[in-house]
Order: sequence, then structure tokens, then C-alpha cells
Amino acid sequence: MAHKNPIRSFFASVKLAVVLLIAIAAASILGTLIPQQEAAGPFIARLGPGWSSFLMKIQVFDVFHSFWYAALMALLALNLIVCSLDLLPRTWRRYRRKDDPDRMERLADLPAARIVVTGRDREEAAKRATSLLEKIAGPVTRRERGERIFLHAHRGAYSHFGVPIIHAGVLIVMAGVMIGLFSGFEGYMTIPEGESTATVRLKSGRGERVLPFSVRCDRFVLEFYENGAPRTYRSDLTFLQNGREAQSAAVLVNHPVTFGGIRFYQSSYGTMPGGNPVLTVVQRERKVMEVEIAPEMAFVLPEHRATVRVLRVEDNLMDMGPAVKLGVTAPSGSRQFWVFAAIEQIVAANPGILEQVPLFDPASFAPYLFSLRAAERRPYTGLQAARDPGVPMVALGAAVLMAGLLVVYFRSHRRFWILLETADEGTRIGVVGRSSRDEAGMNRELDRLADAIGAEEEAGT
Amino acid sequence: MIDAKILGATTFVYFAAFAFYLLRMASGRESWGRWGALTALAGLAAHTAALALRWVSSYQMGIGHAPLSNLYESLIFFSWSITAVYLFFERRMRDRSLGVLVLPAAFLFMAYASLSPHIDSRIQPLIPALQSNWLVSHVVTCFLGYAAFTVAFAAGLMMLVKGPAIQTGGKARPAGTAAREENGRNPGPRRERSVPARFMALIPAPAVLDDLIYQSVVLGFVFLAIGIMTGSIWAHHAWGSYWSWDPKETWSLVTWLVYAIMLHSRYIRGWRERPMAVMAVIGFICVLITYLGVNLLPGLHTYQ
Repeated sequence: MAHKNPIRSFFASVKLAVVLLIAIAAASILGTLIPQQEAAGPFIARLGPGWSSFLMKIQVFDVFHSFWYAALMALLALNLIVCSLDLLPRTWRRYRRKDDPDRMERLADLPAARIVVTGRDREEAAKRATSLLEKIAGPVTRRERGERIFLHAHRGAYSHFGVPIIHAGVLIVMAGVMIGLFSGFEGYMTIPEGESTATVRLKSGRGERVLPFSVRCDRFVLEFYENGAPRTYRSDLTFLQNGREAQSAAVLVNHPVTFGGIRFYQSSYGTMPGGNPVLTVVQRERKVMEVEIAPEMAFVLPEHRATVRVLRVEDNLMDMGPAVKLGVTAPSGSRQFWVFAAIEQIVAANPGILEQVPLFDPASFAPYLFSLRAAERRPYTGLQAARDPGVPMVALGAAVLMAGLLVVYFRSHRRFWILLETADEGTRIGVVGRSSRDEAGMNRELDRLADAIGAEEEAGT
Repeated sequence: MIDAKILGATTFVYFAAFAFYLLRMASGRESWGRWGALTALAGLAAHTAALALRWVSSYQMGIGHAPLSNLYESLIFFSWSITAVYLFFERRMRDRSLGVLVLPAAFLFMAYASLSPHIDSRIQPLIPALQSNWLVSHVVTCFLGYAAFTVAFAAGLMMLVKGPAIQTGGKARPAGTAAREENGRNPGPRRERSVPARFMALIPAPAVLDDLIYQSVVLGFVFLAIGIMTGSIWAHHAWGSYWSWDPKETWSLVTWLVYAIMLHSRYIRGWRERPMAVMAVIGFICVLITYLGVNLLPGLHTYQ
């Protein structure tokens, strides 16, 4: 890896790869310890303004989408590419390399266990050894030099490509992720039962996206087991194209539906007000007025020339249910107070509350008594809509990465040499080998090979 | 709930196996090691039977699913994986020294599952998020990976316990042989040596432990890779995104990266023995955070 160009050798180094992997691991840990994105709100609020704006600027609250995390990934990709450019020619040479059958050392230097002596003559022993070697390592090359016969074979040379294959897999995954980032989107749709929408709220506040078709929620189904745990969340959807029903499908958790190249997932559910709450005004047991209210609207109570303004409409105020805040202006003076839909229960649960908190008294503007009827609630389904054209690429990269891992860790290039020479007792056979990985496994295989050569000879005599 | 009773009993069988392995280390007699291996195997058989029974009875309850769906079942399966992967390596390496460190892990996870008042051992129906064909392949591959890392951790711990003052080199051989050789060299008879000294003498040579760490880490690394990939496919179907940086996903990536760093350093920088042992310990800490620690962090993956 010693290049003339120091920049290139820097980017090709495995040292850089290890440093980058450590940095990515450390950044990822940071991203799980510091609250991220929406969850960061309360944490940011507790910091001083100087700190919080600084930390926000360096994207500490969105580590996985920050420029520096992306930079680490880009550096890793560059490192992998440059390193692979270096590695490939060397791997190719290793793959193509032809070993000399007679490069083997003298028999005397071999470990004793790998020397077999047989009564057979040299040529016959060589034949047997050749057929045994062929079985485990394919074609055998043979060379004779003087009184000696050399046999050589190897298998699994392709396993040298395992590391470049893993690196290629990682790069393909990264490319797939980039495709998804730049040409895909992810967001949510909230559709009340019976209604349709084409608008997707994009994730992390990136605005909205209008689909070329709309989605109608025909029904949202929630089923429970006997023990009360949820069993099924299901949305029956109909996709509408140009106002016509194009397709109907049920979306369940773990069973998304694809329409128009966009996948829809069951993500959440709930109920929402089905309309506006209704405010009733009673004067001495007699209903004088009933109005459907909306924020900021106003109406007049003619008898006392009073104007009632709706200041706030709350779905659930302080966990006490729906409430509206009214501001009444009259010649007799003006006041503001809350009207709760569930005022009877609130008073029953907190006796004396109206005296303690006059703001909650619906009879604050005598002689009128205000009451609120909350709107009917109706179920809605929360869908996640996503389009990610990078997925096939990510899947391909993962498959390549997996194949590379299997080759690197469960395959090895094993080279075998056998030397036969005539001895006093017949033929002395030496067996040696080299493995690119797993020396222990190679030793076991060599033991078996030497034993087999010896054993077959014994069976022959 | 016959399965829970068998699992309760298995907990003590694993403890007994641990005791036998400990006796082997203390006495230097290989026969205790054979008892340990036999007991661990018996425990594993009972454990397997209990898992099968639990699976069958969930079908009889009409909510059939593999017993891999909540914290109790995951702890039970983790323990099963630890024993199974350990026995695999014990056979392969022909060395019983590690049982004394691995079996307590299997025992502790079982005991935690059975005894903790916060863990519900009843068979529960599958909530919608878990109703997927990917549940089994994702959980099984992840836990086999975790178990292999547990074995690597035990081997690393052993190497660190023995300290630097040990001879290096030597190829894999039965630990009994090593002990006999040491005794042969030692002038005094065996019973005159102290228990800790015998224990230390029975710890395999660093090269053997190093080989074991490497092999188990490789196995765990590949299983964790498959586990992350099956998890991604599942997430793609369930959550609409193959990766959401949820704490468990992130920590599984961190764990995988730590072992990737370890394997790269071995491959390129020639790390052997002690640095590998230290990495095996660091990696296992990441495994524990990935498995249990992230439950303390908010996310999609937390066990109920």
C-alpha cells in the first residue's frame, strides 16, 4: 500500500478505516444518548440559549442526518473505494498465481505427523496420493526431479475475493441509501373514516407532498384479544384516481399496500372531533341559544347587549376534557371564563372547585348558564406513506455483503504439496499445506490426508 | 404450564453443570468435566423440549406463535442459545475449560427470567407489530449471534484472568493433556498445589483461547449481520423504512462495528490474544446494551 502519492496511500489505509469505524460507532452512541429530533424539545428547553443554539447548529439533536455524520460516511466510502482499487490487482495476482509443485522444502523439515512411509514403490504411491489429493483439491500438477516426485493442488483461490466483495456490498448499500435519500420520501397521512385525502405530511417538518391520487379510509378496524391486548389494526382503503375508484385494499401492521409506486403502512390510529362543539346558553331553565362554535367566532346575547367571543377551543384542557374559553363584553362589565363539557363530573370530583377557581364557573355571567357539548368523535387512521427507489439496491448490497462474509469466514485458499521419495522401506511421503485462513482447520485436513494416504497403503498390502 | 416447570428445573440443571465444571477446574480431574458436559447437554435437551411444548401449547390456546415474543421468552431463548453454542465449541475445540464461565451466564439469564417479579412468564398473544414471518428468523439469528459473542467474552475473560505471565504458542489440544504435561514437569504431586494454581494451570494456552475467541466472534459477526438484515427486511414491511435509527438498531450497528474493528485489527495489524480478549469484553458490553440496555432508552423496539 506504499504509494508515491501520500494522499492516496492515506485514503487506502486500513488505519483510516478503523479510525472511521470508531468515529461512526462513537457518533451513533451519542445519537442514542442525546434525545433526537422531536424528542429533543424538553432537553433543549433546559439549556441556556447560547448552548442550545450552538448545539443545534452542529446538529447534535439530529446526529443521523447531520452533515458531519454524512461526512464520516462519505469518508468511509472513499476509503473503501481507494482501498479496493489497491486491493483488486493484488487479489487478482493472488488468484492467478501458479505455485511450483517442487517449491516444497526437504522432507526432513516436515513435522513428523505428516510423513507416511509405505511399502509401495514410488510410482504406485504417487498414483494413490494423486487420486486422494484430487478428491479434496481438484486437478493435480506433477513434477519429477531426480529421484523425487512432487504433487501440487489447491482449492478455494476465489476466497481471496471475499474482502473486495464485502467492501463492494457496503458500497452498494450506501449507494442505495443515497438513492432513497435523494429521490424518495417518507411521511404521514391522517384520514378520518369515510374521508379521503391526497396530502402527505413529510417527516421532520419538510413540508407536504400532494399525491397524484387520493386515499379514502372506508373503515378502521381495531380488534382485541380476550386479555385486552390489541390483536389487529386494519384500515380498509380505497385509492381514487381522477375521482374514480382504482383499487381497494386492506392495510395491516406488517402488511403494507403499494399503489402508484408508493407503499402505505398502518402506523397509528385515534379519534378526532367529527365537527364543531355546540355551546348552549340557558337563562332561568330556558334555553335561549344554541350555537356551533369555532375559534375566534363571536355572537350576541340580545337581552343584555352582551357580545360573547370564543377565545380558545381546547380538545382536552388539563386532562379535564373539551373546553372553550369565552370572553363576554357587556355594558355591565366584561369577563373571561372557561366552559367545560364535563363540568358536572369535574365538580363532583373536586368539590368546591367553582368557588376556588371562579374562572371555571359556567355561570360567571349571570343570569346566563353556559354549557358545552363536545363534538362527536370519529375514528381516523394514521398511515405512513413512503417511496424508496433505493430499496432494491440496498437489498442487493446486503446480499453481496453477506456472500462476501461467508466467503471470507467460511472459505479459505488451501494449497497442498506432496513429496514422494524412495526410502529403504519403500516410499516416504511428505504432506504439507498452506491456508489463507483457519490454520487449525488446515492442520486437521492435512492430518486426515496423510492418514488416508497411509491407511490406503496398509489396506493394499 | 408444564413448560415453565421444566424451564425452572433446567435453571438448576445448568447450575449443576456449572458446579461440575468448577469442580473440574478446582480438582484438575477431567471426569468432572465430562459430568459437566453431560449435565449441560441434559439441560439443553430439557430446555429444547420445554420450548417445543411452549410452542405447541400456544397453538392449543389458539394464539399459536413461536416462543420468541416477549422478554421472558427472549431470555429463555438467549440462555438456550448460549448453552447450545457453547457445547458446539466445546466439541469443536475439545476443551471443557470455558464451561465454568459460560454456564453461569446461561444459568443467570434463566434465573432472571424465572425469578424476576417484573417478568411475565405466561404465553401471551402476539400484538400486531410482531405478527410477521420475519419474527422467527430475526430473533433466532440475533440470539445465536449474541450467544457466540458470550462464548467469546468468556474466553476473553479467561485470558485476562490468567494474566500476561503465561507461555504462548501450542496448538489446540485437550486441556487434560495440558494439565498432565504441567504435572509431569512439576516435581510435587498434584494435591499439594493450591486450588487457584490448579485452576490457572487448567486455563488453556493463550493461542487456544485466541483461536476460540476468533472463531466464536466470526460466527457471531455473521449471525448478527444476518440478524440485522432480516430485521431490516421486517422493518421495511412493518414500519415503512428498513432503517430508522431507533436505539436498538443503532446499538446493533455499533456492536457490529466493534466486532468489525476487532476483526480488521486482527487481519491487518495482527492483533492476537490480549487485545482480542479486551475487544471481546468490550463487544459483549455492547451486546448487553443492545439487548437490555436500550430498553431504558425510548424506541420502537422495547420489550413489553
